[in-house]
Amino acid sequence: MSQRTTVYISIMLVAAILGIMLAVQFRVVNRSPGGISANRAEELLTDLKQINREQENLKKEIADLNYKLNQVNKGKSEAIEALRGELNKVRMSAGLVTVTGPGVEVVLDNPKNETEPGMPPGLFIIRDEDLLKVVNELWGAGAEAISINGQRIIATSEIRLAAPFININTRRVVPPYQVLAVGNPDTLVSSLELPGGLVEYLRSLGIDITVEKHDDLTIPAYAER
Amino acid sequence: MGIMLTATGLLIGLLIGFNIPVILPQDYAKYMSVAALAALDSVFGGIRAAIEDKFDHGIFVTGFFSNALLAAGLTYIGDRLGIDLYLAAVVAFGVRLFQNLAIIRRHILKNKIT
Repeated sequence: MSQRTTVYISIMLVAAILGIMLAVQFRVVNRSPGGISANRAEELLTDLKQINREQENLKKEIADLNYKLNQVNKGKSEAIEALRGELNKVRMSAGLVTVTGPGVEVVLDNPKNETEPGMPPGLFIIRDEDLLKVVNELWGAGAEAISINGQRIIATSEIRLAAPFININTRRVVPPYQVLAVGNPDTLVSSLELPGGLVEYLRSLGIDITVEKHDDLTIPAYAER
Repeated sequence: MGIMLTATGLLIGLLIGFNIPVILPQDYAKYMSVAALAALDSVFGGIRAAIEDKFDHGIFVTGFFSNALLAAGLTYIGDRLGIDLYLAAVVAFGVRLFQNLAIIRRHILKNKIT
């Protein structure tokens, strides 16, 4: 009988252990219905490996592109510098910036004494052509910027006789005409005062003209209407 | 008497199993399930032996643990080798389980009739 009780006790113990195993298993299966099969895990593992490889490739690509970007940026600053210089040059020749430097001042005025009775008044006044000739001569002598009575001469500037006035940049300009030109003063003056040149010709017409060299002239920028 | 004791043992085990705070990781659930099947088979084998009066304490206890461990180990090796070896354990233990159940049933019926 005592043999039999030990047998039953051992069966009971074993059954208890079995119960524990079953319960634990039951809880595990219940916790995540369906569970994750080993195949699924392997699938995910291969996916992970592949994605890691892709990530490495992409990282390499990022480094490569960053390198290229740096190269481009290095070149960019130089290009910007060159473009700035170009822009400044263009702005100056377009007359959008004030120009200072050595140059000449040419002042033209109408003849003071209108002698010659019987002649209609205004015959000997300065005409647009005279100013145009002066401007042309200055450009030809290498002037960088020219203004007449504060009106900057640019590509679209007109010099046009409008009754008693001359219109420059559609503004009325009255005598005395003060023509300022920035450039090499010696060249400008010598080209104007050439024997038989423009100044002599204008003087012969009776126009009061003076030419002066200046070390520091300021020519205003083109004023938009 | 034997079946009553077994049932109470199982009940106690279930109570403990549902109340312990340890939760088995998902990865080991497969091994545990095969081990549980082997243990179940051992218990039914033990009941059958007890009914037939051939019960050997040593054989029962060692059989219980060795079967469970062997089944789990076989499943593990099968996983490593890429063979579903746990199927072999499931089939073997399942067949034996049903055989044991049939024998126990017959014994019970015989006892009832006589």
